[in-house]
Amino acid sequence: MATNPMHQFSVYRLGPEIKIAGIDLSFTNASLFMVISASLICLILFLGTKEKNIVPSKIQLISEIFYNFIAKMISETAGSKAKPYFPFIFSLFMFVLFCNMVGMLPYSFTVTSHIIVTLLLAIFIFIAVTVIGFVKHGFGYLKLFVPSGVPTLLLPLITVIEIISYLSRPVSLSVRLFANMMAGHTMLKVFGGFVISLGLLGGWLPLGFSVALTGLEILVAFLQAYVFAILTCIYLNDALNLHH
Amino acid sequence: MPDLKDFKTRLKIANSKIKKNLQSNNSNNGSFMGFALKLGTELVAAVVVGTIIGFILDTWFDTKPWLIIIFFFIGSAAGMLNVIRTAKRIQEKD
Repeated sequence: MATNPMHQFSVYRLGPEIKIAGIDLSFTNASLFMVISASLICLILFLGTKEKNIVPSKIQLISEIFYNFIAKMISETAGSKAKPYFPFIFSLFMFVLFCNMVGMLPYSFTVTSHIIVTLLLAIFIFIAVTVIGFVKHGFGYLKLFVPSGVPTLLLPLITVIEIISYLSRPVSLSVRLFANMMAGHTMLKVFGGFVISLGLLGGWLPLGFSVALTGLEILVAFLQAYVFAILTCIYLNDALNLHH
Repeated sequence: MPDLKDFKTRLKIANSKIKKNLQSNNSNNGSFMGFALKLGTELVAAVVVGTIIGFILDTWFDTKPWLIIIFFFIGSAAGMLNVIRTAKRIQEKD
């Protein structure tokens, strides 16, 4: 059981079974870790904004760094028009980042290593961006699929290609996050297994790898949250400013 | 007050350092790495989506296996388009 590297991804029920209209809505370990990540975010931001000093305390500094980071990212990639969407992108980034980081702790569960979680986030972003595009530009938003300066003979083919390219956004967005998290955690577990099976004699090499990989995984956890947020900004930019 | 003077000079030094950093570090490396990681999945995702669309249309119109073949290639084209677009975006930042 413990040597199976995929065991860490299993979802099980905590507490009683809850079924509403035939859908299993029980509280699982995945839900538990989502609650933990969300409350950690709330706690840090609450403590960080409680006292507003000119010379910030450490926790205030952390929350201000997060704020500045996202605000800068939005203004750089999507322009000033995207300012109203700051709360959404901020909570999205923080949620993915904290789910990834909480997953790095031993004996914890990585919520973002399940495709259903990341796909749902990505589909929500996809639908939201499409709705924003149609609200801002009306049917002119469909111009996104018809690039200018294309010969009429090629236009149907190009349009189909553009539509597939547009539809592939949520897939690439969700698969990237899920695959990175799952591959990383499986690799860590496999190297951990090597340490045990090679014993005191040969176990030092995989142990060293494990330490290095943990560092790499922390980088990946941050980077994937960043990529998730910045791609949302780019899609938002396409919807708001209507050009590639 | 010697303390205040000291603080002022330190402030000046810190400010000039920030200015220098801003000038030299306009393009941040984090987003580069983000874009580079984006390329691979971008290509695969479009092929997958194209093939799935082909499969669905095939079962609708009962034309197996023609549409799945056509849409596989269209999906590949869309994937390459995605990659080229991302690469262009990286160049613009450069």
